[in-house]
Amino acid sequence: MLTRKALRSTIAAAALLATAACGSDNTDRSSSNSADAPSVALLTSGPVSDAGWHAGAYEGLQLIRDSLRFRVSHQQTRTPAEFDEAFISYAQAGYGLIFGHGFEYQDAATRVGPQFPNVTFVVSSGSRPGPNVVPLVFHLNEASYLAGMAAGAVTQSGIVGMVGGVEIPAAKGTFIAFEAGVKAVRSDAKLLETHTGDWYDVSAAKEATAAQLRQGADILIHNLDAASFGFFQAVREARKAGGDAWALGMNLDQNDVAPDVIVASAMIDLPAVFLSTAEAWEKGTLRGVARYAGLRAGVVDFVPNPAQEGVIPLDALERIDSAREAIIAGTLEVPRIEFVEEEAAADG
Amino acid sequence: MADLSALSSFLVAAVGLGVPLALAALGEMVTERTGVINIGLEGSVIWGALGGALGALAAGPYAGLACGVSTGALAALCFALFAVRLGTDQIITGTAVTIGSLGFTGAVFQSRFGATGIALELPTVAALELPLLSEIPILGPALFNQAAPAYIAYLLAPLLAWLLFRTRWGLAVRAVGESPDAAHAAGVPVIRTRLLATVFGGALAGLAGAHLSLVHTGTFAENMSAGKGFIAIAVVVLGRWSPWGVVAAALFFGAAEALQFALQAWDSELPYPLFLALPYLLSLAALVGWFGRARAPGGLGSPWPTARR
Repeated sequence: MLTRKALRSTIAAAALLATAACGSDNTDRSSSNSADAPSVALLTSGPVSDAGWHAGAYEGLQLIRDSLRFRVSHQQTRTPAEFDEAFISYAQAGYGLIFGHGFEYQDAATRVGPQFPNVTFVVSSGSRPGPNVVPLVFHLNEASYLAGMAAGAVTQSGIVGMVGGVEIPAAKGTFIAFEAGVKAVRSDAKLLETHTGDWYDVSAAKEATAAQLRQGADILIHNLDAASFGFFQAVREARKAGGDAWALGMNLDQNDVAPDVIVASAMIDLPAVFLSTAEAWEKGTLRGVARYAGLRAGVVDFVPNPAQEGVIPLDALERIDSAREAIIAGTLEVPRIEFVEEEAAADG
Repeated sequence: MADLSALSSFLVAAVGLGVPLALAALGEMVTERTGVINIGLEGSVIWGALGGALGALAAGPYAGLACGVSTGALAALCFALFAVRLGTDQIITGTAVTIGSLGFTGAVFQSRFGATGIALELPTVAALELPLLSEIPILGPALFNQAAPAYIAYLLAPLLAWLLFRTRWGLAVRAVGESPDAAHAAGVPVIRTRLLATVFGGALAGLAGAHLSLVHTGTFAENMSAGKGFIAIAVVVLGRWSPWGVVAAALFFGAAEALQFALQAWDSELPYPLFLALPYLLSLAALVGWFGRARAPGGLGSPWPTARR
């Protein structure tokens, strides 16, 4: 028998949890697309308001809705325990293409995939293709290498900083390539590397960045989500205090996120990648192999910030351009972390 | 001289990271002294950060601090109405408040600034340099060239120590926490005491959140509380439910975090998770070796009245 107290507890907890769920489930019901349109869903493990990695995926989803007139839905999962469940509930609700935006979704996609052979699961930075599981591999390391060349040219102190969240393979790859790019221009440069252990902890990111600035770093790159706001703030404060420090954007074109401190971004055109993936899925050509997105495909690039023209010397920009051509031509190999098993697809 | 400036900038970082923990933990200490454990503290911190940001954009940094205090208190009131007034399970209710707050603040932020977010540049609360005190070598600039919330934390420690251990009011608070039945028999309004103490704790956690957005970082991001509410609850234990202990433990934890960042930037050979674990390892060591065993208030975590139909 349920006591009144237990009943009250249950109702209270249920009410609070229900409101919690409303807070972060951003299913887009306002879309005017008809109910029988193909349905595409996106899972992110963090808030899409990070003006970076997650935001780019969300923009991609919006682009799919607007260009292809698909029905779209987004949900933010909190714990890995929810990954399988979220995949399954979207698959059961008739979503034919489900993006899990981050390598953390790989295991869940591999487990859930066989249960829904007619649904395609796409895993950003994924590592294991399956019959209906498609890893999206971003060669962001190529753009990071070019950003490193810029940093090597800009730094006066010869000390260059890198601030990361968690050292996942894709993020580690960007830092390794960045370091190689710096050293290609300035072989005596010293690289500082800090990880905060959290993608959203703004104050930890700010303090980690400040610690590097104090040790003489004068140009820094990050690989963070929303915590990048703290990274940019630290560089901004150093500049306001009279220092000559600069920041580099990562994952998306972040040049307008903090235009006063960012000299350039190493970016993925996530919306374009999402759109082309959805188009391939509609045509039935998206099958069981990893899809690669790099400089050659024009979806990964290094973009200087027009608002800070002149900070990167002209001759450095020319060197960067010829390195870009060399990477595209295949004559310059940029260091990277190989994390895709069963390399199956041709580089594209 | 170079070493001295490195030391003092390390101390500035330590205080910057420690102050929000001290504020939230001081509030939670008072709450726990009445027998309520508010796991929803994290919710108050993130509400304080967002409320602070919105208030500061609307009416300046000090209005932002006030707004952060109020939103933090409101989140705790929400918890208290269920956990204290209705006697629901404190852990479950607190967890719900935390998860709900992280979701709600995100929804508010996204509806105000767009789904994909922007890097806000907030008006920050300026540091107030205390004459004389800030001239103390090394420690002075770190401790006494801070924004208002830090001074509130310093002043609250002696004030709360006096209130809790030297006044009738403090006796009532502690009685409610140790044995609510006895306090009730002695005529102390148990529910009201617990409600007020919980809201007070939320207000301070809100101030801690506003400190994050308006003093320390000058920006807001979803989830930026990043577990600081939970760490504050641990800091209460580390500080053995005493105001001075809590402030010392918070600054100690802040110093360990600042040290960890300085070491990581210094040496990239060791795996970084070792550095990230440093504050927790030091805290564990302190908990074991500091001053003996900690004892929680007797009635901590149990709803009152217990025998309800």
